Amino acid sequence: MNFISNLFRYGSIAAALFGVVAICLVARTQAERQMLPAGDPPIMPPKKPYAQAVAATGILEALSENVSIGVPIPGLVREVCVKVNDTVKKDQPLFKLDDRDLRAEQLSVQAQQEIASAQIRVSEAQLSKLASQLTRLQAISDSRAVSREDLENRQQDVAISQAQLAAAHAQFTASETSLKRIALLIDRLTVLAPRDGEIIQVNIRAGEYAATSPKVSALILGQTDRLQVRADIDEQNATRIRQGQKAYGYLKGDPTVTFPLEFIRVEPYVVPKVSLTGSSTERVDTRVLQVIYSLARPSDPPLYVGQQVDVFIEAPDRHPQP
Amino acid sequence: MIGLALKMLFGDTAKYLMLVAGLFFATFLIVQQASVFCGLMRWTTATVKNVGAPIYVVEERVEQANETNPMRDTDVARVRSVSAVRWAMPLYSGIQRVRLNDGSFKTVQLIGIDAASLAGGPTQMLEGNLEDLRLPNTVVIDELATQRLSTDPKNPLKKIKVGDQFEINDVEARVVGICKAMRSFTGGPYIWTTYERALQYTPSSRKMLSSVIAAPIDGMTTDEAAAEIEKTTGLRAYVNRDFGDNPKDFNTATVWWYVKNTGIPISFGTTVVIGFIVGVAIACQTFYAFVLDNLKHLGALKAMGMSNFRLSMMLIVQALTVGIIGFGLGLLATSGFAMGAIHNNQPPFYMPWQIPVVAFVVIQLICMLAALMGIIRLSLYEPAMVFRA
Repeated sequence: MNFISNLFRYGSIAAALFGVVAICLVARTQAERQMLPAGDPPIMPPKKPYAQAVAATGILEALSENVSIGVPIPGLVREVCVKVNDTVKKDQPLFKLDDRDLRAEQLSVQAQQEIASAQIRVSEAQLSKLASQLTRLQAISDSRAVSREDLENRQQDVAISQAQLAAAHAQFTASETSLKRIALLIDRLTVLAPRDGEIIQVNIRAGEYAATSPKVSALILGQTDRLQVRADIDEQNATRIRQGQKAYGYLKGDPTVTFPLEFIRVEPYVVPKVSLTGSSTERVDTRVLQVIYSLARPSDPPLYVGQQVDVFIEAPDRHPQP
Repeated sequence: MIGLALKMLFGDTAKYLMLVAGLFFATFLIVQQASVFCGLMRWTTATVKNVGAPIYVVEERVEQANETNPMRDTDVARVRSVSAVRWAMPLYSGIQRVRLNDGSFKTVQLIGIDAASLAGGPTQMLEGNLEDLRLPNTVVIDELATQRLSTDPKNPLKKIKVGDQFEINDVEARVVGICKAMRSFTGGPYIWTTYERALQYTPSSRKMLSSVIAAPIDGMTTDEAAAEIEKTTGLRAYVNRDFGDNPKDFNTATVWWYVKNTGIPISFGTTVVIGFIVGVAIACQTFYAFVLDNLKHLGALKAMGMSNFRLSMMLIVQALTVGIIGFGLGLLATSGFAMGAIHNNQPPFYMPWQIPVVAFVVIQLICMLAALMGIIRLSLYEPAMVFRA
């Protein structure tokens, strides 16, 4: 009995002591299991180049702005003469549309031209025949031998024949003009480069149908030796933007790629913002002021037209009215 | 005198055990319930803890971390434009449904982070590489998800591994990493992906940006930077420290929101109060009975000339001893519960150091109350009564 009460007595004291130790262990395990405190992100975001700056998201464009090449009439593409990255001169052919319908028309006009030229020859022969008959009658000096009526008839025949020849000539000229017109139309089906530049994108291949108002433009042409950045600035920050402010760009995805930007202009028209997040549904919820900056294309790392850029524009803070 | 007091105390094993048991239950109920409450409240801030960022910028009417009121995409640029901000990145957070290979659905907490900097990503990767998130259709899941998203959670062989895939809103998601994360209040596992992809996983709505996470520039505290962001942008900026007295702290704001708007504190508070009452009732009653039992001996001591003060001290020493032992036993039981809870991550358990300290004071108060009743009884007792019987 004494043993049992001793057991309870010392046992309870020991258990109590152990309890204090155990709760300390719990506290330690709990501390170990805590989430680590917030540190820096795995890849440090770009350091702001200016103490006071307006941040914007931008997109790289060719300096001359990207030209979406259009077609004069919708039709099948027969041949694409350029590849992506090709440098093209002004008026260099880019692609050719199917022109067989015009060529067919050309053939029939050519046949008509043949007819017209044959008609000219017929009229000429007719004229020379009538003219020689008239000459023969006129050569007869005896007025009794030839009736006056006969002579007049012959003269009128010659005049008619002359008019017919003129008509045949006009026919010929008309068909000639028609041929020229068709040649011009055929010529128009070869789409030419409107200016010097580089082919940035080719969305059309031989055999495809080129529409006059396509969803994606057939070809995009631009000058890529110098690029420009179109920076979208939230309208709430738009009042901080002035002409000629300095700016710095950071390539989205790799903040180590930085480049100074040269001011070109502020677009005078504030446009609805198109979400640049790549989602197919366009979410217009604010309007943005666009500022254009230019940069020389660095050789390494390569920059591409269409890449997203984080832009910091040096602009003083707006001091709220007291 | 102390020796005599302890001898008297341990002399009656049954009463001693009764006393200790009462205080043990009181301690266990108070400490365990308070800790589970704290753990549950901590779960409500899991998103803030898992997405470790110094400053959270949210829409101006957002009051706590689990509600989102989306902002416009350009708000990231607006926050970035504040001079006090070193960096600012978009963050998507929302509850989405995952479809498993067997066709069943589970809800998850989807977090979308900036793909370039990976700011807001999990801090502890267990498997895989966080940078692999930049691959197409990839996600990083937490430990809970490896079980929760498996078709047979009991079978360890069927756990989701790196390389497995499932669907979030009909879009493929391939697991490239497993990380450690705190459990969410809603019970869904955490799934990280990039911000852009999170928008693809989510049914589109006009505004999608849940919050902007930011850091202050060097030489500026997070509080100053948060105040500056609020002043300049008109959005609400919370700092992310730990629960405290700062109302601008996201953890604090979230916990107080739950305290004010849910019945959780009432439920847990009632249990704690019952623990206290049980402790008081058992301890006072048993101790009083104990004093009554030993009244003869105490009376004899009094008759021998021992002062009331010294006798009171004896009773106080007895009460303190019982209190400490009962408290220790209560802590032992709580530790057992805690080890299990921490190991399984369930039920919630978080014990700040204040809980055992306050519990200790409360238990000692109960003991003092019990001792006081004994002392009153003893002081009313006439020494002569001993000889009368």
